[in-house]
Amino acid sequence: MNGVSVVGVGMIPFGKYPEKNIADLGWPAVKAAIKDAGIEGRRIEAVYSGTARGGAMVGQRIMGRLGLAGLPIVNVENACSSSSSALAQAVIAVGSGAYDVALVIGVEKLTKFGGGTLPLDEDDWEVRLGLSMPALYAMRAQRYMHDYGVKLEQVAAVSVKNRHNGALNPDAQMRKEVSVAEVLASRMVADPFTLLQCCPTGDGAAAIILASDKVARQIRRDAISVRGSHLTSGRFMAGFRDMTSPEITVRGAKESFEEAGLGPSDIDVAEVHDAFSIAELLYYEAFGFCPRGEGAAFLESGATKIGGKIPINPSGGLLAKGHPVGATGAAQVVEIVRQLRGEAGARQVEGAKVGLTHATGGGISGFDHGACSIHIFQR
Amino acid sequence: MAIEAAKTPERPPLCGDAVAVDAEGRATLIGGVCADCGAEAFPRAPVCSTCMSENIEPKKMPRRGTLYAFSTVHVAAKKWKRPMCIGYVDLPNKARVFTHLVGQGLAIGDEVEVAMGTVGEDENGPIDCFIFKKVSG
Repeated sequence: MNGVSVVGVGMIPFGKYPEKNIADLGWPAVKAAIKDAGIEGRRIEAVYSGTARGGAMVGQRIMGRLGLAGLPIVNVENACSSSSSALAQAVIAVGSGAYDVALVIGVEKLTKFGGGTLPLDEDDWEVRLGLSMPALYAMRAQRYMHDYGVKLEQVAAVSVKNRHNGALNPDAQMRKEVSVAEVLASRMVADPFTLLQCCPTGDGAAAIILASDKVARQIRRDAISVRGSHLTSGRFMAGFRDMTSPEITVRGAKESFEEAGLGPSDIDVAEVHDAFSIAELLYYEAFGFCPRGEGAAFLESGATKIGGKIPINPSGGLLAKGHPVGATGAAQVVEIVRQLRGEAGARQVEGAKVGLTHATGGGISGFDHGACSIHIFQR
Repeated sequence: MAIEAAKTPERPPLCGDAVAVDAEGRATLIGGVCADCGAEAFPRAPVCSTCMSENIEPKKMPRRGTLYAFSTVHVAAKKWKRPMCIGYVDLPNKARVFTHLVGQGLAIGDEVEVAMGTVGEDENGPIDCFIFKKVSG
């Protein structure tokens, strides 16, 4: 495999754009990434476009708007990992030498569903019987609190931290700080989650331009190197499984660190999949940022705030930046690239050299999660 | 002579043939057992996820299990009873069952037993399914 670097990133602020169709959500992010890379759009040789619920041929619709179609475009669906899975495919393609420059898009329009929880496929047994994403994560939270004696206030503190970070991010959907009391007083969604412990419904788009290291050096001096690119699916386990330790992320993290030749202590900043408050605590532990059962104490210690030992979700994460599902993985990369380039403004993690992104999702019976994609970047 | 309106056939439960109800009204979950490797699964699937055999036979599941985790859900599609309590029940044969739960004061680790219940209602009437409820005493 040849080395692969990120030479351009772009996104639109996450939010609610009910009047825009998916092509018009997507093209401004692509145009911004092209501008950021400082290249001609025609240099893009292949496109990998991720969306979970955007429908067919979304990549073509977006590239058509910009007059840049007529090249290989692959549309990727992998639930909340759609655009991070698209990125993993693009890294393989560029790393193999097939292309010098490739584009990754993540795009989603959730406002078209008119609110409520993310619609899931009723073909699935547990979904048919009434399972939803908040309910699934709520059970994880209940079991975690039971096993480790963690209090509601400690779980709610994840939302407080990420809302604080989101308030510093012009691209975040939720830009108002909240207190633990406000989080707990918001309306109940699925016990123990109140509304402010759930990611908001919204729309968004993000784009990444990759180049082979050789070409990247010609494009810009501060290209960000892709140190690790990992994609896996959950293991099917029809029987008992420990819901407090997400097997797909534990395994994915271990393999990603091995691939990159790095460990958790080498990571300076990370964007992890905090779809619900509890998730961030589970992922501190899954990545080995802290030991099992100590996630809440780790958060309380200040280790994961901006300025702490390992800032997590400086963008505001899914809880504050928003979670237009198919766009999330690409937007995490936008944040990490900006952090590593020192362009993150008020939420800058000082001196960050190595960053990690983690997008996982897909609520289906018998799986911890359907898909998980982890990337590690270095400046 | 007036023509009698055709009687609507009784609506099958949401879980289809994954539950059997005997003459006394006692519900039992019907899962699957692989005739080749012996792996048991709920719900029953046409192929074994352990050995890929298609030799799957219906098998009665244990009626009681232990509550692994649960949540009272307030935001859900209109058809469900809201709030609704859902959870995972671990059976002694190592099957984990996603289910609606009935009863007050549930706690993780409770012993629960399968029964039939109404979990929602739509334009076609009540939606019935297996449920689990706390074993009293």
